[in-house]
Amino acid sequence: MPRLELVATLEGHQDRVWQAVWHPSKTILATCSGDKTVRLWAPASHSDLSNWQCIHTLEHGHKRTIRSLAWSPSGNEIATASFDATTGIWEYDSRENDWECVATLEGHENEVKSVAWSAGQLLATCSRDKTVWIWEVESDNDFECLSVLQEHSQDVKMVAWHPHKEVLASASYDDTIKIWREDDDDWYCSDTLQGHTSTVWTLDFDASGDHIVSGSDDQTLRIWRTIKPQNAQGIPTPSHDPTYRTVCTLSGYHNRCIYSVSWSKVNNHIASASGDNSIRVFAQSGETSEEMSWEATAKIEAAHGVHDINHVSWFPSEVHRDWLATAGDDGVARIWRYIEDDV
Amino acid sequence: MALLNANPIVYEPTLTTIRVETESDYDDDIVDPIDAEEVYELLRSISDPEHPLTLEQLNVTQLQHITVDNKENHVLVEFTPTIPHCSMATLIGLCIRVRLLRSLPERFKVDIKVRKGTHQSENAVNKQLNDKERVAAALENKHLLEVVNQCLATAGRSE
Repeated sequence: MPRLELVATLEGHQDRVWQAVWHPSKTILATCSGDKTVRLWAPASHSDLSNWQCIHTLEHGHKRTIRSLAWSPSGNEIATASFDATTGIWEYDSRENDWECVATLEGHENEVKSVAWSAGQLLATCSRDKTVWIWEVESDNDFECLSVLQEHSQDVKMVAWHPHKEVLASASYDDTIKIWREDDDDWYCSDTLQGHTSTVWTLDFDASGDHIVSGSDDQTLRIWRTIKPQNAQGIPTPSHDPTYRTVCTLSGYHNRCIYSVSWSKVNNHIASASGDNSIRVFAQSGETSEEMSWEATAKIEAAHGVHDINHVSWFPSEVHRDWLATAGDDGVARIWRYIEDDV
Repeated sequence: MALLNANPIVYEPTLTTIRVETESDYDDDIVDPIDAEEVYELLRSISDPEHPLTLEQLNVTQLQHITVDNKENHVLVEFTPTIPHCSMATLIGLCIRVRLLRSLPERFKVDIKVRKGTHQSENAVNKQLNDKERVAAALENKHLLEVVNQCLATAGRSE
């Protein structure tokens, strides 16, 4: 049976850790916390990957909790979403070997819950004020707001971009996921994914972008598939945009809220983290045109002791394709290795 | 400011709800699992946000509406707002949550709910009280935290 093995524990934050996010190409993990800081972590040496050190602390940029963070595609900038209603943009200065807050994006009425950087030149933020904002990244750390999307009826928990298209997904306290597309500089909601029966906290696309996994307070994970216009099954696509439908529901694996899911773009596995203190890994076991089947392959109970786990993320590239990072209410981040077989 | 519920019914605490201490409570060799009575003790003397009365005196918290599973590390507190349109329901629930957050061992997962059928927006209140992100954000609000602390100032006092 596959299993998860603890590689390292990253201690330093003074409050709960909300997220642990991998650098897009380097062996660096960024974590953000209720202590209003972001910490960057790296292995102390190339030979010993179990000993991690905090190499930078990004502080004094926010007055309240930093709820989420996102690396720019180059890895030279970090965006931070804070309960202080602003989004911070941090840039690495290689001459000074330091990170600096170079811009603060204002506009949301209250807590910013999530921030996401597209593969291109766009940034998305969402807030308890029920809106999703799309920003264009211009030169000289200038950000222009292109659109304010207000179709969610409640607190928006998370935004995530399609891996290679300018298509955005948002998850909300209103129990839905919405898909946003652009038509000639105009952003609109092209689909509303209904099925979860409570807050949708988290979602992630697969490598192709044709599937989404979501996790909810209803204790289930759902896998949604893109149905293209003029599909063979005859499923209507009213706005001539692709639509989504559930092809798999995973229930009975978590018995409290699911706060985070991560769909590895490298090994195709899904990991989930929950308020029940456990992490789980799922592998695909079948697929038809109607549905997909997935099986649970590994789990760690009490991965952060008695504490909730707020975030889970797979390492984004081949180098450490079996690595998972998690963030917990115990104020630590952990790195795990997913081991497929005992040899 | 006009009070929402100007004349609440005041209930006399019944003797059965007051914990009777026995000799074994003082025996350090006996492991005392946390039970509903202990949780009730933590909550009964919290003040109402509007009235100089405790949640016990207003019958907002009742021993029989507290469920504790010590082995499974789970606590469920159901409370009864004084009136079905009480706009203080979320605040009262928040006070209960903060009290338990500060007093119970960290291993406990706590669910706080309005007693079924006692509030016109019970689903909305329940959802908000059990969303830890919104609770965290609320507790970073200085003004709100002050109000909560005021309600909790009396907690633990024995009359």
